[in-house]
Amino acid sequence: MQTFKIASVILFSLFLSACASGPKVTYGDATAVETTTTGFGSTDLQTIAATLVDDLLTFPPIVQMTAERRPVVFVDKIKNKTTEHIDTESITDSIQTKLLKSGKFRFVDMTAVKAIQEQLNFQMDSGMVDPAKAVAFGKQTGAEFMLYGNMSSIVKRNDSTKDVYYKFTLKMVNLESGIMEWAGEKEIRKTGEKQFFSL
Amino acid sequence: MNKRPLVALPLLFALLTGCAVNETATVTVDGDTTTQVLESNSGFLSASLEITETKVGSAGDLMKVQATLKNASRSELSFRYKFKWLDKDGFEIAVDGRPWTPLTITPYESKSVQATAPNPTAKAFRIMVQD
Repeated sequence: MQTFKIASVILFSLFLSACASGPKVTYGDATAVETTTTGFGSTDLQTIAATLVDDLLTFPPIVQMTAERRPVVFVDKIKNKTTEHIDTESITDSIQTKLLKSGKFRFVDMTAVKAIQEQLNFQMDSGMVDPAKAVAFGKQTGAEFMLYGNMSSIVKRNDSTKDVYYKFTLKMVNLESGIMEWAGEKEIRKTGEKQFFSL
Repeated sequence: MNKRPLVALPLLFALLTGCAVNETATVTVDGDTTTQVLESNSGFLSASLEITETKVGSAGDLMKVQATLKNASRSELSFRYKFKWLDKDGFEIAVDGRPWTPLTITPYESKSVQATAPNPTAKAFRIMVQD
């Protein structure tokens, strides 16, 4: 009888705590702070993009340069020097989108060069497009600046704690002069501790 | 048999799986008149965290803002904040453009947080604080 009572209490408790477990699927806030693990996550990606875009847009020489015109930029790859697999293109995509939407910069998309070339060849060579309405070759605008950077991490751990430090560096260089016009950094520290009660 | 474990067990489960309580404080600053409206729900954060000052500047034609947050309590506060941007008609621009950002403030310390508008149409901002 006593065993039955204890089992009933446990079952009742599990029923009460059902909101935090089980296969229920819900939609959440994409911008919410995510702390599932110490690994690189959505909050880190969004924070890096927001911080570096703010930094670039408020740097006085950049403010001056973009006051009258919208320079054309191309985004190179970000070197991932961490031990994790991180989609750095996703970070640069966010940065590129924010900069484009600010109305201060324009971009040439090097990831779409092949598709653009195929479309131009189709317009010129297929015989299906009116030559008067076909896009002309050799009219594209060259980029004036290049965005590139590095991402590195330092991971330390002991029996109970794991400490991860990320550093994301983004630089903008003038392609003609080779002068670096701007550089920004964002550091992130995350610490994970083993919990006594880990469900 | 001692009945205490029977009472403690459900309480323990409730503690382990407890759902977070959200509190939100909102400050709105309109570009020309700079009016500040503080809305705070009753709760843990509103009693211990103050938005003491908001400043508005510009970087070219982009709005640059700063909010100073003060921990008025005796204990360390960990919370998250988020900026939102509004155009002259009060429409939110760049929805979900900025993430909730975690921040910790030691007792009686003030910290300033800054943000730059996503584009020149932003004429007001709102800072939200959540525990």
